[in-house]
Amino acid sequence: MKHERPQSFNTVPMKERLTIPRQAMPEQDATVRSTNFLEVNLGLTPEQAVIEAQRCIECKNPTCMEGCPVSIKIPDFIQLICNQDFIGAAQKIKEDNSLPAICGRVCPQETQCEEVCVMGRRFEPVAIGRLERFVADYAMQHGNGSLESFEKPASTGQKVAIVGSGPAGLAVASDLIKEGHEVTVFEALHEFGGVLVYGIPEFRLPKEILRQEVATLEAKGVKFVKNFIVGRTMTIQELMAEEGFDAVFLGLGAGLPRFMNIPGENLNGVYSANEFLTRSNLMRGYDFPEWDTPLYRAKHAIIVGGGNTAMDAVRTAKRLGADEATIVYRRSEEEMPARNEEIHHAKEEGVKFMNLVNPIEFISNEQGSVVAAKCLRMELGEPDDSGRRRPIPMEGSEFIMDVDMVVIAVGNGSNPLIAQTTPEIQTNKWGNIVADEDGRTSMEGVFAGGDIVSGGATVILAMGAGRKSAIAMNEYLKTKVRNSA
Amino acid sequence: MNLKDQISLMGMDDIMEMCINQEQQAIDLYSLARDQARDESSRQKFQELVDMETAHKVALRNFELENFIELPPADLKVTDYLMEPVLKDNMTTQEIIILAAKREDKTARMYQDLADHFNFDKNLNTFFQMMADEELRHKHSLETEYENEFLQEG
Repeated sequence: MKHERPQSFNTVPMKERLTIPRQAMPEQDATVRSTNFLEVNLGLTPEQAVIEAQRCIECKNPTCMEGCPVSIKIPDFIQLICNQDFIGAAQKIKEDNSLPAICGRVCPQETQCEEVCVMGRRFEPVAIGRLERFVADYAMQHGNGSLESFEKPASTGQKVAIVGSGPAGLAVASDLIKEGHEVTVFEALHEFGGVLVYGIPEFRLPKEILRQEVATLEAKGVKFVKNFIVGRTMTIQELMAEEGFDAVFLGLGAGLPRFMNIPGENLNGVYSANEFLTRSNLMRGYDFPEWDTPLYRAKHAIIVGGGNTAMDAVRTAKRLGADEATIVYRRSEEEMPARNEEIHHAKEEGVKFMNLVNPIEFISNEQGSVVAAKCLRMELGEPDDSGRRRPIPMEGSEFIMDVDMVVIAVGNGSNPLIAQTTPEIQTNKWGNIVADEDGRTSMEGVFAGGDIVSGGATVILAMGAGRKSAIAMNEYLKTKVRNSA
Repeated sequence: MNLKDQISLMGMDDIMEMCINQEQQAIDLYSLARDQARDESSRQKFQELVDMETAHKVALRNFELENFIELPPADLKVTDYLMEPVLKDNMTTQEIIILAAKREDKTARMYQDLADHFNFDKNLNTFFQMMADEELRHKHSLETEYENEFLQEG
């Protein structure tokens, strides 16, 4: 990737940069935070941010941008931090990423930009994610709510409906409002943000950040409509034919929880991760009885799975007061898809890990509540397509453990509502919407992107898909005007 | 007369025909399920299974040893402990794969049982062992798909 070298503001001699240690993220103490829902990571101080930025060795051929799915101009924004121009650095990121405060918190930088940072070949990589978060937060605290200088463009008179207010939908809204289109975001739930709100706990992503991002878009003219289920309240056909929307973007995400299909998954006390986290995150179950959403306080909660959702659920269970909260995972820790940071934080907070174990049945008492899990021990076999060693059940290794709450976090599928109500839109055998690389679906004027197309992925990939679709939608709308003239 | 007694009276052509008929039963079942499925995604998955079983039937019809001689991959046992879904018109793709994998498993066990029973007849023993292995290969393929799609551990 060709990238013009940014102006250097880094006054630290090159050799000295190698000796600067990577700046540690200030955190809440583990014993304190395991009883509250406040954010765990506190963010770098301005002094730390400048020191961290000074670690960048200003490569002639920077590889960090190649690791970023939306190609943020990483060397440029790091140089602006060296110059203590934090607002400028935030604006630089915003050229490519409309949600930096969110991505700075939840992106897996260690497998993206930081994985390919040249410093990382011998030393620790530059903490790009921490820097991104720092400048985004700084700009939010010191700016006027909008990181960009936004001049309202002349109206095109064309209407765009965005279905879903998750990362893909927000990215599309952010890009298309700049083009002068009338943009409306429809959200099925009573808060905006999609998976960022219902799926990610407050201690990892404070809701206030999302509210500010939504408020910024509203200030730019984007309309937000909540409690509106496209496919039920109104179909896509009705939005286009009766409400006059010229184009529609579908960013519904992958919100359909998957279960294991083992006996006892319908017992009281067995939750999908989606339900459990939604009760806590979106409906403020952790504030019961101030908020009217009860959540069971477990003696022993087990969470089945090894991804970030499983870590969010187990740390939530711990914070809700579970005496014991355990991850039950069928492979070993080495194969866990969760971020290392999340696993590390969970351990610090007292979460237990039971690896190479898989439940095969949940057992109930007479009231139909779960009281035990029958499990099998696993051993690792040959690597599978993902390169991770496959877990194989060890026959005769069954054992039973007492549990009074189970959360299933084995993945999510796509919501079938759109496929059921809009047969014109082609779906694949997994129920995902079929779209080309610019997001065009089989229905004229309807685009789609994010998890509803790709299956469960990361926030930044969903945003990247949204941005590609926004370009294609803008072209489509321009052509529509030309053809009707 | 039970199946084993029947087989002991059959010639090799009839035994082969019986195995082909086993595949045809699966084709008929999945075709019916495809026609009754409510969702396009389920119809697609059932059609894939029809295609897969048809390919198996053709392979049996043109029984060429080199296609059957390889030992099967390790049994992943991914679906062994899962509940067997009931065939219905609103099955999810997840349920369809479990159903199909369990059918392959049952058929593999049936052939393995026959192989064990006919251990005194080298030809029959080898034939049924290869058939059992073939069914295990199909099960492996379905379970790999199941793992990749439904056990992402997100």
